[in-house]
Amino acid sequence: MAKKDNVRAGQVVGDVDAFVSAPVHSPVSGTVKDIALRSHPVLGRTMAVIIDTDPADATEKSPCAGQFGADFDHSAYSVEQICEAVRQAGIVGMGGAGFPTRVKIEPNPRLPKRTLIINGCECEPFITCDYRIMLEWTYQIIAGVKLACKASGCSRVVIGIEDNKPAAIETMCKALEACRGCEHIEVAPVQTKYPQGGERQLINSLLKRTVPTGGIPPMIGICVLNVATCAAIAEAVVTGAPLTHRVVTVTGEAISKPGNYYVPVGMQVADLIDHAGGLTETAAKVILGGPMMGLAIADLSTPITKTSGAVTVLTKEAIYKAKYEKRQTPCIRCGRCLDVCPENLNPTKIAHAVKNNLLDVAADYYMSACIECGCCSYVCPANIELTGYIKTGKLLVARAKQKVPE
Amino acid sequence: MVLANIVQLWQDAWPAGLTMLALGTGFAVVLLIASIKLKVTVDPKIEQVHQALPGVDCGACGFAGCAAYAKAVSADPELLGKCAPGGAETAGKIAQILNIQISSSGGLVRPIVHCRAHTDDKQFYAEYDGIMTCTAANAQPNVQACNFGCLGYGDCIRVCKFDALHIIDGLATVDYEKCTGCGACAKACPRNLIEMVGFAQENMMTVACRNRENPKTTRQMCRVGCIGCKMCEKQSDIFKIEDNLARLDYERYQPSEQAETAMSKCPTGVIVYRGKSAPTPRKSAQKPVAAKE
Repeated sequence: MAKKDNVRAGQVVGDVDAFVSAPVHSPVSGTVKDIALRSHPVLGRTMAVIIDTDPADATEKSPCAGQFGADFDHSAYSVEQICEAVRQAGIVGMGGAGFPTRVKIEPNPRLPKRTLIINGCECEPFITCDYRIMLEWTYQIIAGVKLACKASGCSRVVIGIEDNKPAAIETMCKALEACRGCEHIEVAPVQTKYPQGGERQLINSLLKRTVPTGGIPPMIGICVLNVATCAAIAEAVVTGAPLTHRVVTVTGEAISKPGNYYVPVGMQVADLIDHAGGLTETAAKVILGGPMMGLAIADLSTPITKTSGAVTVLTKEAIYKAKYEKRQTPCIRCGRCLDVCPENLNPTKIAHAVKNNLLDVAADYYMSACIECGCCSYVCPANIELTGYIKTGKLLVARAKQKVPE
Repeated sequence: MVLANIVQLWQDAWPAGLTMLALGTGFAVVLLIASIKLKVTVDPKIEQVHQALPGVDCGACGFAGCAAYAKAVSADPELLGKCAPGGAETAGKIAQILNIQISSSGGLVRPIVHCRAHTDDKQFYAEYDGIMTCTAANAQPNVQACNFGCLGYGDCIRVCKFDALHIIDGLATVDYEKCTGCGACAKACPRNLIEMVGFAQENMMTVACRNRENPKTTRQMCRVGCIGCKMCEKQSDIFKIEDNLARLDYERYQPSEQAETAMSKCPTGVIVYRGKSAPTPRKSAQKPVAAKE
């Protein structure tokens, strides 16, 4: 790409050859205004392609759920076709981690997959985007599930949906009854709790199996996909359209018109908030993602990425309650963080080790197994930012591994 | 009577005495064999080298401490000169002990902080209230507008064993009188702002900025950021602009007329002296450049 190049909607604007990677496509038609540093929710400042939209070619992309029905037949597509389409469309895990889907679903002789789990649990409180697409894009999701199941070679599919979404469970069950060749797909309601949407937690709830510490689900023959990812797979394989749009929940008490919006990837958070009625006066903190694991953003020109499922805007009162009402006090060893840790770790030990720069002690307490769900920070009566310290510790370990600072 | 008692005592106790004697001899033999078989030869030179080292265990040499370095340098003279706090003096002593020649090394290695933005010079988009360390804050994008500059939460001062670094008004500042050049601060800075540079003179020029944003953005972000205007490059060939940022070739740096001109012509005053008895940089307030929204 170079300045003043013309771009069409769906054209690749960035790609690398690495195996664990995915290309990026332009969601709009227009001209390249600049290639420069822009804010990114995870990387800080990174190179971005800035596209001026062409008003003459403002064809808006709309969801393609209408193309899918109960009669969808997946046998027309071969495994290679599916994997290649998924790679070309740049599909990554849309639940939040953003692992390239092609790498996940591709058959791997060393780690054969037997069970496919579809994650229909919202990853965090406040977020409802997966719920909405389960209701509205039901057949598209089922088509994606069939394709992913065929590509990965799984013989059993379990769709896990939290039991506070009875409408989604009912819609999904009815749709599966209407479809042919869905005998191996079952819907399983799971308890509503946080973090139910984490893949390790979901596997444990559905199959009563534990992913080994430091391991990944394929090691026990399981592949986990988010419902939004499945919808994207169906779209990519059937229509060939790349992943350029996603559903984002714009929520929080400080948003005038909260709701779920179908937006282009690369849209600025400020524009999205404007579209959702703008901020109320009490707005204090904008988070890309949910309130537990989301990343606070200081620059509202940060773009929506393929993995951002939500924009949460919290009010001053909410933050005040969580943060300023009680300042951080010393740990009283109550052990509540141990009770809530979904990975059965000892957050207070790890956090204090990091605080005192004892990274080997932190490693002995399995710091790397932490999924950073934030439960320990949430329950801590002393207001210690345990998750923050553990995250910092991970960064310090990563830095110590680099031999020479870059 | 007394004699009879002694005789009696001897008759009662001789088996015990003999047993003790046999045991003692037995253990002595075991110890004798062990001392020969399991003998560890300690090179007296290692102990001497250890004595010659400063003994602060700072780890600048790359080993776990002074003892580990003493052992390593005795085995491999190539490692001579790795001791930053000791410097040339210690290297000379060790060379004497190990009876080797030392190569003529350049000047002292000292850290340079590539930022000169104090709190007033920086722009902020939002308030940060997380964990007050640089590593934690750096994980938060845009914690201050400039994603390259000094954060001022002091990860570097916490690792400094010589009290040679201080946060002065939001900027890490090196006290070159106390600094020994161990390099711990350079390893600690999550933004890699601190570079270890060989000082040929007591002080030298540097470009105190790492911001690679385009000039317009840089001006909005920071009052004292490098805008890559190429003014210095035109004056002296030791400066080079790459990615909107001036870089100084430290190896070729010599105090010169051209370098002075380049420094005085820099519109944002980002070229400054660093080192012992460095001339104070001119105040950025004399020439306000940002201020505009």
